[in-house]
Amino acid sequence: MNDHEKIRELLALSVADALTPAEEEQVMNHARSCAECSSELDSWRLLAAGLRRLPTPQPRPLIVERARARAELRFAEEAEHRWHRIVMVGVILFAWALTLASWPVVRLVSGGLLGMLDPRLNHAWLGFAVFTTIIWMTGGAAAVFLSLQQRRERRLA
Amino acid sequence: MIGSAAIHWEGRVGLDSELAQLRRGDLDALSALLARYQNRLYRYLLRLVRDPSEAEDLFQQTWVRVAEKIRQFDTKRNFEAWLFTVARNIAFDHLRRIRPESLDEPIAGAPGESAATRLPSSERPVLDGIVERERTSRLAQALELLPVTHREVLTLRFEEEMKLEEIAEVIDIPLSTVKTRLRRALDRMRQTLEAHYPGEVWQ
Repeated sequence: MNDHEKIRELLALSVADALTPAEEEQVMNHARSCAECSSELDSWRLLAAGLRRLPTPQPRPLIVERARARAELRFAEEAEHRWHRIVMVGVILFAWALTLASWPVVRLVSGGLLGMLDPRLNHAWLGFAVFTTIIWMTGGAAAVFLSLQQRRERRLA
Repeated sequence: MIGSAAIHWEGRVGLDSELAQLRRGDLDALSALLARYQNRLYRYLLRLVRDPSEAEDLFQQTWVRVAEKIRQFDTKRNFEAWLFTVARNIAFDHLRRIRPESLDEPIAGAPGESAATRLPSSERPVLDGIVERERTSRLAQALELLPVTHREVLTLRFEEEMKLEEIAEVIDIPLSTVKTRLRRALDRMRQTLEAHYPGEVWQ
């Protein structure tokens, strides 16, 4: 491929401002001395100018308004979900704190704090473990149920 | 030159402030963003799918997705490229689902009335004359006959006036591929014009 052919390959990219400064200079220098490439470059410029001047279609105002309303609704829903997540994390932390705090209280009521230091697996420990497990399983089931219901409502909306 | 740089800087500052407001939950900022990009985004979607009603639907979906994802947007990134990427993903998912063949092939047949030229007459820009108007119309029709990847790169470069780096970011391809695609798209555009309107000054 000679220089002329190489430059011809670059002409289209020149009108798209897609050449490096060095390539652009090469094209311009060649086009000044080559009538064929100069004419070819002009025709590419005509095409590029036409593309730049194509009319801009506009969305109907009703569609823009609908897009705004739907986006705002989604944005509000997202904010609500974020708030729900924060509340959920807060509630879980509170529940854990309450659970842990309730252990010494229960021990205090049922036989003294020192009993907690007893490493043996006794009835009090077992009872308390069952009690905690039931509470947490109920809480987990409620959370799953609420989340499924929310998802169904969102799908229907 | 200084004037246009100042306008660009003002636009950039305005955009940054709208994005910051939106991320803080200000819905007025969403309206401002929508007003800023509505025409460009709709034009891009219309160029991709060619059907105004589909473009309108995708336009709405894009803004819903923006509302969903705006908090995950990295402010160090270019918002415009991000926005067009969101729109592109939605449009290509739609094309893959509805008209998978359109992702590979141009539509067949002679150009008819194009969506790009179906504009309310009052909103058409005043062109220099009948010849110019005719030429513009034929260009729009020829553009619609190109494959979607070529239409896309031409509209991003010549209508949206995006830099090559921005186009690479939107389409998610290397810069060298953008150049190759751009050149092929221009070649194809000229071939299409020559095939449908022989003898006219396209060359």
